[in-house]
Amino acid sequence: MKNTISKYYPLIPVFAAYLIMFIIGFFMPGMWQMVALLAFYCALGQSWNIFMGMTGYVDFGYVTFIALGTYGMSLGISYFSQFEWLGIGILVIGLILALFLASLSALLEAFIALRLRGAYFAIACIGINEGLRYFIEGAKIWGGSEGMIFFGALMQAFGKETVNQLTTFWADFSVFIIAALAAFLNMHYMRSKIGYALTAVREDEDAAKVMGINTTKYKTIAFLTSGLLGAGVGAMAWGLKLGHVYPGDVFVIHYTVECIVVVLLGGAGTLLGPVIGGLIYGLSKYWLAVIMPGFQLLIFAPIIIIIIVAAPEGVVGLLKRRLKGTQLEMFIE
Amino acid sequence: MPLLKLENVTKRFGGLVAVDKVSLEIQAGELIGIVGPNGSGKTTLFNVINGVYPPEEGKVFFDGKNITRLPAYKRAPLGLGRTFQIPRPFGSASVRENVAIGAMFGTLADKVSVDDSLEIADRYIELVGLEPHKDKEAGTLTPVEKKMMEIARALAMRPKLLLMDEAMAGMNPKDIDDMVKFLKRIKDEENIAIVSMVEHIMRAVAGLAERVMVMNQGAKLIDAKTEEALTDPRVVEVYLGHPTDKSKWRSEVWKEGKDWDE
Amino acid sequence: MIFTLLAGNLTHGLLLGGVYGLATMGLSLIFGVINVVNVGHGQFIMVGAFVTLTMFTTLGLSPVVSIPVALILGMALGFFFFYTVMRRLIRAPELTSLLATFAMGILLEEIAKLIFGADFRGYNWGVGRITLPITTIPMSKVYAFIGSIVIALFLYFWFSKTRLGTAIRAVIEDNEGATVCGVNVGWIYALSFAIGIGLTVMSGVLLTMFIPVGINPYMGGGYTLKAFVIAVLGGLTSPYGAFFAGLIFGLIENGAYTLFALIPGVAPFPLTVSLAFWMLFFLLLVKPTGLLGK
Repeated sequence: MKNTISKYYPLIPVFAAYLIMFIIGFFMPGMWQMVALLAFYCALGQSWNIFMGMTGYVDFGYVTFIALGTYGMSLGISYFSQFEWLGIGILVIGLILALFLASLSALLEAFIALRLRGAYFAIACIGINEGLRYFIEGAKIWGGSEGMIFFGALMQAFGKETVNQLTTFWADFSVFIIAALAAFLNMHYMRSKIGYALTAVREDEDAAKVMGINTTKYKTIAFLTSGLLGAGVGAMAWGLKLGHVYPGDVFVIHYTVECIVVVLLGGAGTLLGPVIGGLIYGLSKYWLAVIMPGFQLLIFAPIIIIIIVAAPEGVVGLLKRRLKGTQLEMFIE
Repeated sequence: MPLLKLENVTKRFGGLVAVDKVSLEIQAGELIGIVGPNGSGKTTLFNVINGVYPPEEGKVFFDGKNITRLPAYKRAPLGLGRTFQIPRPFGSASVRENVAIGAMFGTLADKVSVDDSLEIADRYIELVGLEPHKDKEAGTLTPVEKKMMEIARALAMRPKLLLMDEAMAGMNPKDIDDMVKFLKRIKDEENIAIVSMVEHIMRAVAGLAERVMVMNQGAKLIDAKTEEALTDPRVVEVYLGHPTDKSKWRSEVWKEGKDWDE
Repeated sequence: MIFTLLAGNLTHGLLLGGVYGLATMGLSLIFGVINVVNVGHGQFIMVGAFVTLTMFTTLGLSPVVSIPVALILGMALGFFFFYTVMRRLIRAPELTSLLATFAMGILLEEIAKLIFGADFRGYNWGVGRITLPITTIPMSKVYAFIGSIVIALFLYFWFSKTRLGTAIRAVIEDNEGATVCGVNVGWIYALSFAIGIGLTVMSGVLLTMFIPVGINPYMGGGYTLKAFVIAVLGGLTSPYGAFFAGLIFGLIENGAYTLFALIPGVAPFPLTVSLAFWMLFFLLLVKPTGLLGK
């Protein structure tokens, strides 16, 4: 039994970090907004890393899931806010719609794109993202390029006071929850057959098949998990919090870039990596936005290149190497 | 009932016939060698047997089941294990994890947990003598260690049939003899059939297999008792380009264990 | 009436398709030789666009002059990125090169923004227009098309008649075989990458001859995606496949737009873009080696 629990020790530093962030944000005046931003990046990194870190596949179209999550929540609020008796159930419906849309697209993508390798996979994912965005705009569904504005509907259903709480606290709080959930799932996968199967996939997919591993199944599990978590972040941090959605704002590949930076900074395939990466990225973005607004990416683009060439393991990868053989080893994954 | 049965299996790549109407039966617990020069279709035959690609014609039966169109990952749990000519370790995982992956998705797939698999792995790591390297990343092993790790990984799958692709290439005579002894031992202990594919090293085949199938240009040349097969004039011709003094071939190549690479 | 319109639009599509073809050859060449998909491809097209714009507006030079300038600048950029970054990633896992080229693209965008700002710009190269029975075409578009054909043909002869060109083709066909035959693969990698980038920057010039407006630091992303579709259509590793696929793509794009415009209640432009990506998606599903590939 002790053995089983000790296998989950690496979650301790991750949860501790989230707890400290939460406490700082909750009790120190004026800090909540920044902490929420950091949680957003940690959650996205953690979610993206489940697929990318474990399989070695790069999903450049990851933002599709975040966008569909946003749309799900937006549709839920727009159509169901008229039934006032649903109460908070409106948001539950929104979240369910978000997860439904994301799983639909994840399964479609998995069916087609996961049969492709490397570059072809990356291209196909971008293709889906763009195809979906322009289809929404072109066929004028869900408001087309004008998107949906439902802040008013939200106000009507919940009243000013509750909406204020929902958008300034609960939306961000649920991002914390998603980040923690993502960390837990990632850890759980790493320690279960899924993790072993995906290690084999990452290293040598053909040999993995010969070893009896249903590679498509395990890749799909990771892909779906990663996508659903992303959809959750979208539903809460964009849909509920902002009260509007425009296709041109949500299907933007730059958000995938941010996931990439966060994960690479921290260490791809590690558990603590996205947290460290999210903190470094979030803080420096916040800071750079003050000292040289609009040029954060000018700094980050060369950093990505340098990491890839010089330190592909990221901060946590290096840390793990340092701590190998010490008592602390079991806490870092 | 034979464990593995091939019926007129043919595999083409474009116009090239890589495997040409090969039929073969292997009984449970048998040790058989497949011999043939480079390009004779041995590896392709292996790939057809364990499902890397389906054959154009013919059927493959395993344990009485028609597995001709079954994907590779469904064959391993039935009891088909395999090692590769050039070892293919999962480089970033430890030796222990590599071997555990074998246990996890082999014939015991539904019965073992991750912890069980790691225990099974320990047993086979000990069996192949890799204990000191257990926690090393598999990618950092030497080529021979990688080969041993692959054997442990395949054995941890608890297969009924083990396909070994050039297990002894690049080894010195002593290592070959050790390997032959080792394979015979595990064959008896684990009660598995072993198909060992060998390109050149007659010494290994002679010591190891009770039966040999010789392939040439994709087709089955002969399938007979080892001594008979390796002294057959047709086999000698395939290897030397011309039929030669049978006794010379015998003494120089087979009995003395000369490697034809040298 | 509709047929005249369709024929007119298809003519424009064919001309644009030639430029698309050229704009994709670099992507295919780089993938063919070093097996790297340049995810920052479109940003090099953007560089070409700004070269043209700057030369035209500040120095008053015709876009035709920009063509060789863009080629040289592009090759210089290509060599620079190859020796600083790509060289180290050739044997690394595929995802590293995807991420690196992606970051490269962003770096170019941000540098362009730093220098030129984020506004949309354009220029007016008044070289008249030609009137056909079905449509009227600005001469600049005709020149862009002719330029693309000439460059593609030149490349064709260079590949098939020169020693260096043959060596590059040998590496595309069979990497290891080429090494055995005494080709200096390291140099071929560098040169091909540089030529690939050079071609791409150069195609940016021709594209602005075709569409002289909308020049801004972020214009490249869309072209990367279009180039993917075209490259996959053409078989991904073949620069000539890419050129012909470009022609086909230009025709489909303009043809589809004409037809979508007839459907009431939809926005034809985004729908056309969407179609391109669904095409890509299903193409990858059915025949990942491309329609024109082997």
